[in-house]
Amino acid sequence: MKDKIKETIDYLMKKKVDYADIRHQKTNLEDIKVKNGNVEALSRNDDQGFGIRVIADGAWGFAASSICTSEEMKRVADQAIEIAKASAITKKENAKLAETEVHRDEYESQYAKDPFGVSVDKKISLLLDACKIMMKNKKIKVAEGSMQFFKTNKVFASTEKAFIEQSILESGAGISATAVDGREAQRRSYPNSHGGDYASRGYEFVEEMNLLENAERVQEEAIQLLSADPLPEMETTIIISGNQLALQVHESCGHPTELDRVLGTEISLAGGSFLTLDKLNKLKYGSEKVTITADASLSGGLGSFGYDDEGVKAQRVDLVRNGLFVGYQTSRETALVLNQKSNGTMRADGWNRIPLIRMTNINLEPGEWELDDLIKDTQSGFFLETNKSWSIDDKRLNFQFGVEAAWEIKDGKLGKIYKNGVYTGMTPQFWNSCDAVCNRKHWHIWGVPNCGKGEPMQIMHVAHGTSPTRFRNVKVGVSK
Amino acid sequence: MIGKEKILDNLSSVVKKSEVDQTEAVYIGGESGLTRFANSTIHQNVFEANSKVYFRAALGKKIGVAATNSFIKADLEKALSNAIEIAKNQKENPDFPGLPSQKDALSLNTYFDKTARFTPMQRAQEIKKIFDQTKVHNLTAAGSFSTGETEIAVVNTNGVACYQPLTSTFLNIVVTGDNSSGYADWLSRNVEDINAEKLAQIAIKKCLESKDPKGLEPGEYDVVLEPTAVAALLEWMNYIGFGSKPFQEGTSFLSNRIGQKIMAKDVTIYDDGNDQSAIAFPFDFEGVPKQKVTLIEKGVAKGVVYDSISAHKDKVKSTGHALTPDSAEGALALNVFVEPGDSSLDKMIESVDRGLLVTRFHYINGLLDTTNALLTGMTRDGTFLIENGKVKHGIKNLRFTESMLKAFSNVVKISEDRKIVNSWWGDVGCVVAPAMLMKSFKFTGKTEF
Repeated sequence: MKDKIKETIDYLMKKKVDYADIRHQKTNLEDIKVKNGNVEALSRNDDQGFGIRVIADGAWGFAASSICTSEEMKRVADQAIEIAKASAITKKENAKLAETEVHRDEYESQYAKDPFGVSVDKKISLLLDACKIMMKNKKIKVAEGSMQFFKTNKVFASTEKAFIEQSILESGAGISATAVDGREAQRRSYPNSHGGDYASRGYEFVEEMNLLENAERVQEEAIQLLSADPLPEMETTIIISGNQLALQVHESCGHPTELDRVLGTEISLAGGSFLTLDKLNKLKYGSEKVTITADASLSGGLGSFGYDDEGVKAQRVDLVRNGLFVGYQTSRETALVLNQKSNGTMRADGWNRIPLIRMTNINLEPGEWELDDLIKDTQSGFFLETNKSWSIDDKRLNFQFGVEAAWEIKDGKLGKIYKNGVYTGMTPQFWNSCDAVCNRKHWHIWGVPNCGKGEPMQIMHVAHGTSPTRFRNVKVGVSK
Repeated sequence: MIGKEKILDNLSSVVKKSEVDQTEAVYIGGESGLTRFANSTIHQNVFEANSKVYFRAALGKKIGVAATNSFIKADLEKALSNAIEIAKNQKENPDFPGLPSQKDALSLNTYFDKTARFTPMQRAQEIKKIFDQTKVHNLTAAGSFSTGETEIAVVNTNGVACYQPLTSTFLNIVVTGDNSSGYADWLSRNVEDINAEKLAQIAIKKCLESKDPKGLEPGEYDVVLEPTAVAALLEWMNYIGFGSKPFQEGTSFLSNRIGQKIMAKDVTIYDDGNDQSAIAFPFDFEGVPKQKVTLIEKGVAKGVVYDSISAHKDKVKSTGHALTPDSAEGALALNVFVEPGDSSLDKMIESVDRGLLVTRFHYINGLLDTTNALLTGMTRDGTFLIENGKVKHGIKNLRFTESMLKAFSNVVKISEDRKIVNSWWGDVGCVVAPAMLMKSFKFTGKTEF
C-alpha cells in the first residue's frame, strides 16, 4: 500500500497541482449489544479505502474510493482535480495553507489488552451478567449493555513530502436500566449514557469500569426515579457531574471554538458561533475558575492521536484561560486568518471524508475542590448527573440539557432524588457563574464517540476531561 | 452502477456456499457527490465510490453479522466466514423467527439517469446562480447540493432476491444578512426537479423580511409551522415512538395508548414506502415488501412499524421496516406522511390574531420524556411575529419545550400542500409534511439573535 501511495503522490506532483494529500484508512469495528438477557447485535465491520484531497486552480477537490489499486488511485486523483476545477468557478481567492513542519513518522496508541484478542464469549458474558443483576426488579423493562472496539490504521502522504503512519485502538462500554411503570419510563446508565464511556485504550479500560459492581445501583436508581418528583422550576445552585459536564463543554465551548464554524463554513448544517474573531483575547467567556484546553497529546483520550489528517502534530492549546477566551481550534487553511500555524485539529471520520476541524480532548482543567467539601459548602441546590438530552442554538448560546438524575443538596448534604431534571442558560453567563471546580482526583476524560459535523455527515470520536463543577443562579426544571 | 445481475449473482453465489442454516446478504453501494458552499463560494466539493455488504448468518437462533466494503469475492467469503464464526460464539435469540421468504415488492421507478450523471461542474453552475441572486441583495449564501446513485440488494437462503437502483438529490440554502437569515431546500429523486434560482428567491425573501429581528418573551403562542418545521418534529416522534422497539419496551408515547385519541381529529399520520410522489423504496433491509402502516388515524393511536424479529415478538407480520443487519435500533418508519388538510399557509396566517410563523427548527432533542413525546429545540432561519392576520416582522429565535401529544392535539388547520422534507434516513426515506396551525405552543427560552 505504501508504494501505491507514494506512486500516487508522484503522479499528483507531475500534474502540478497546488497541493495534494492522500489518506488510506483501514478500520475494524466490533459491536456488541445485549438486552434483557439476549445478544441483540454482534457484528464485525471491516472497512478500507483512500481519499485524495487537492488544491488545483486555487480551489479544493476531493475524491475517494474503496478500490485500492494503483490504477484506481490515479483515476481518483484525476477526478479530485476535475472537482477542484469545478469549485474554482466560484472562488473569490485562492485556497492557501499555513506553513507546517513536514513529518515522516509513525504513531501507535498505547494499550495493555487487545480487545480483538479477548474472546467474544467473555465479552458477552460480562454484559449478560450485568443485565442479570439489573433485571432483578420486574419494573426494569429494559436492561442493556454494549461494547464497541475500533482498530484504525492510517497512512497519510502529501506533496509536501509528509508521510505518516498511525495505528489507533479504541474501546468503549456501558450499561443502562430502564424502569417502566404505566406511562412513566426512567433510565439510569453507567458509566455514562448513550453507550457508556470510551477511550483510546484496550480491553483493560472496560475491565476497570467495574460494570458488575455498579449494575445493582443503576437499577435501584432507575426504580427510585419512577416515583420521584420532577425537578421543580427555580433559579438555584447546581453541581454538575463530570459525565454531564463533558457534554456541556462539548456543546458550549468545543463546537463554538472550531474556527471553520466561526468563519461560517458550517452555517448550512449546525450553524455558526458566537465566538467571532473580534472576541478573541477580549471576551470574558467564564469566571477565573474556568480554563479550557484542547489537548490531543493526552494519553488515552478518545480525542488523542499522533498527527491530525493534515499531518500536523498533536498539540495542547488553551481555548479559555482563567475565564478569558484566548484561542480557537484551527486547521492549516483557517489558521492563516489569525496569522498562525495550525494547532492540529483536522480529522475525517473515514477514508471517504475530507478532514474538518474536529474537537480533540477539550478539557475543563481541574480545580482545587474535593467533591465532599464542595457539597458541604453548598447550602441549597441540586447535584445533576448523566446526560439525557441536549440542545443548543445555532450560535451556541442558548442551551438546554436534560439529566438522568438530580439530587437535592440541602445544608451541605445530598438528599432526595428528582426525575426529569433540566437546566438551561446562555453560554457566557453560565460559565461566568462557575465558582468551584473539583480537583484532579475527580477528573476523568469522558469519551464521546458520536460527535456529528459536516455534509456528508461525519461522526467523530472526541473526548472531554472534566470534574464535578459548581454553577450559581442557574434556571432548572423548565421542561413543562 | 454494477447492475442487478452481477450484484444478485455475486451475493447468491457466496450465500449458497454458507455452512449454516440460514444466511442473508445485503448490498448497499454507489457513487455520490456533494458540493458545499459558504460565504458565497464553494469551499468543499467531494465525491465517493463505496459499497457495503452485510452478511447475517443464523445457526438455529444464534445470529452473527459481519460486513465488508469490498465487493471482491474473496473478501465477501471472508466476511461471511466472520459472520458464521460470530454466530457459533453467540447466545440464542429466542425472538428470531428465521429469515423472511420471498414476496414480490412493487415495481417502482426510483432511478433517474440525469441525477446519476449530474457532474460537479453542473452542480457548481447551479450554485453560481444562487450566488448571483444573493449578490444583488448584498447577502451571502451557504448550503449544499448533492447528487448520487445507489444500488440496494437483499439475498437470502430462503429465496429472497430483491434489487432496487435509486438516485437522490438535495439542495439546501441558508441566506444570511447582517442580523437575519432565510432557508429553503428541495429533495427529490430527479435532479430536474431542483430549481436553484427559485429556492434562492425563497431564502432571500425570508432573510430580508426577518432583518432587524425584535426580541419576544417566551410563553405560549399560536404557531404556524411551515412543512420543514412540522417534519422536524415528526422525525423525532418517529425515532422515539413509531418503531416497534420503543413501543414494546414501554418508552414510546404510543405504548399503552393504542386505540386512544391522542391528537386532534384532523391529524392522520402514516408510513408509505411505496408512494412514488416522495422518496419511495419498495422493500426493507430484510427484503420484506413495504406495507402502508397507519400510525395515527384521525387523532387515534393505531399502531407502529415492525421488522421480522419484533413482529414475531408481538405475533404479527413484519410491515417491511427493518434496518440494516448491524443495527440494534429495531424497525423505523422511513417514509412518514401526514394527510393533507384543506387550508393553506396564507389562510393560516390570516386566521391568527397574535402568534408566530416558524420556518424551521434547529437541534431538536426528544429524549427528555419520551412517553409524553416532550421535545425541545430552537427556531431558526426565519421566525416571524403574526399580528391581526399579517406577518409583522422577524423575531429573535426562541426555544420551545413542548409535549407533541399536546401540540398535535392543538392542531386546528392543516395545509392542502405538502412538502417532501429531507430526513435522517438519507436516500431511502423522507417526511412528507403539510404546514400546520397549532394553538398554544410553548416557548421556554430565547436567544440573542
